[in-house]
Amino acid sequence: MLPFLYFSLKRAWQGFWRNAVMSFAATATMVLMLLLLAGFWIIQTGLLAGLQFTEQKVQVVAYLQPNATETQINELAAEIQRRSDVETVDVITRDKALERFRDSMKAQGRTDLTEQLDSNPLFASVEVKLKDAASLRAVTESLAPEEHPIVRNVINIQDLVERLLTVTNILRTVGTGILIGVGLIALFIIVNAIRLAVVARAEEIEIMRLVGASDAFIRWPFVFEGAFVGFLGSVITLAILAGAAEPLNGFMVDFFRVLPLQIGSMTRDLVTLVMGAGVGLGIVGSWVSVRTYLIR
Amino acid sequence: MVPAAVPADGVEPKASRGDADRHILPTAESPVTIAPAPSAARSLRRRILDRGRDQAVPDRAVLVLHDVTKQYPNGKIALRDVDLVIPEGDFVFLVGPSGAGKSTLIKLLIRDEVATRGAVVLDGQDLARLPRRQVPRMRRKIGIIFQDFKLLPTKTVWENVAFALEVTGYPRRQIRPAVDRVLAIVGLTAQSKQIPAQLSGGEQQRTAIARALVHDPRLIIADEPTGNLDPLISWEILQLLLRINELGVTVLMATHNAEVVTALRKRVVALEEGRIIRDEVGGAYHRED
Repeated sequence: MLPFLYFSLKRAWQGFWRNAVMSFAATATMVLMLLLLAGFWIIQTGLLAGLQFTEQKVQVVAYLQPNATETQINELAAEIQRRSDVETVDVITRDKALERFRDSMKAQGRTDLTEQLDSNPLFASVEVKLKDAASLRAVTESLAPEEHPIVRNVINIQDLVERLLTVTNILRTVGTGILIGVGLIALFIIVNAIRLAVVARAEEIEIMRLVGASDAFIRWPFVFEGAFVGFLGSVITLAILAGAAEPLNGFMVDFFRVLPLQIGSMTRDLVTLVMGAGVGLGIVGSWVSVRTYLIR
Repeated sequence: MVPAAVPADGVEPKASRGDADRHILPTAESPVTIAPAPSAARSLRRRILDRGRDQAVPDRAVLVLHDVTKQYPNGKIALRDVDLVIPEGDFVFLVGPSGAGKSTLIKLLIRDEVATRGAVVLDGQDLARLPRRQVPRMRRKIGIIFQDFKLLPTKTVWENVAFALEVTGYPRRQIRPAVDRVLAIVGLTAQSKQIPAQLSGGEQQRTAIARALVHDPRLIIADEPTGNLDPLISWEILQLLLRINELGVTVLMATHNAEVVTALRKRVVALEEGRIIRDEVGGAYHRED
């Protein structure tokens, strides 16, 4: 086994350098395809992360009647909290609501006119954070004034959230589709590039067959060579991405504004994707190309 | 050891016995070159001894074709009802016009193609029944030589020969002695570090012969080995094949070289339109009636 491995690796290395032009052509193709793949992946991941961030902000706010007692409010909060699709329930008392309002006025540097009032004009409320934006309707309905007399009204952001969800779903499906499409195109182009490198050595393969080399001895050097091309292509691609990360981050921050999204946070996935796709496509490409010569 | 016999009768002047001998091994003159060191030539010598023993037993066939027909998918029938037995140690010329089926026959022998009907039995194994996985192992029993040499241009003579062993998983320490041995047999020890482009046609073909020989094959198949060589060099290659045959290796040589076939008076198998039309020992290239 070890001599075989030594032989295959040695031959792969020799094969790469003896057909340097072909090998570099294949590597360059690989880099272009991987950049395309990684680019699409970054855009899709960025958009989805942005939308998920927005989804997490979705909450149901129920304003309560001014005459609701503390006990009634706490009972309502406890009941809502028991729901499985609810993350947290915050009770905002009238005093707290006023405090918040004043804070926000202050933060915006605007004059606080509430001090001119004799009484607190704000309503108490319960703020419900959801585990999943999709359960918005159910939670909104369970807080309806018809169910709970102490509820004055529930702010309905149903339409907004549904649109958001639709966009996310479309993006996820279409994006995955595009990604698969790009992956397939990359596969064909890379297989073709590697095939050219293999065809250039058809005579060598023929001689190997004639002198009685087993399929493994013919195939594995090429597979290793393909893996090597893939590895080299991945490293170059990652180097290019690393170089482009800074300006790209700037663009992303500008584009998505507040989103807590950085290329850095995607590094691990990106390395896995590029390395996996590169080495994987290299191996598959060689395997398929050599197969043509072995089936006879 | 007896030098290759070239009968004087029917031989062109330039290919007389003495002349041919002078060309067989340009680098070394004595038969010692052919079996240079006792250890190096051991396996071939063993074969010669075995051959002596085998002769007590009735002829052992290296190759048997029984009722072989080959039809290609496009409907063309390349071989029809071919029966052929080649005993161990035989030297057989395969002759016939282009398209007669010589190439197809060779493809069947190396199992590049499988017979549509009939049996091709090499060294006791029916090639049609041979599992695909075992084909490479079977091919190592055959050394094959082509008109266009099929050498790797980037490798030296030594590397080209060693390649055949490397790619078949030969242990590395056994490669050097084996390659040195066959290079000595074909007389290319001095040229071992040159690449094919630096060699003459004859030397390239001798490299190919060394490569075919390095697996210690039971059968050498030569497909037009002299097709690209001038007459003098052709004789040189032929003398070498005869030497190898004397060492006990069976040789099957497909050729259009009428002069050589007629001069040597070996067994001649003539194909025409896929059939064997003549099979005679001591035959000429053309029918002699």
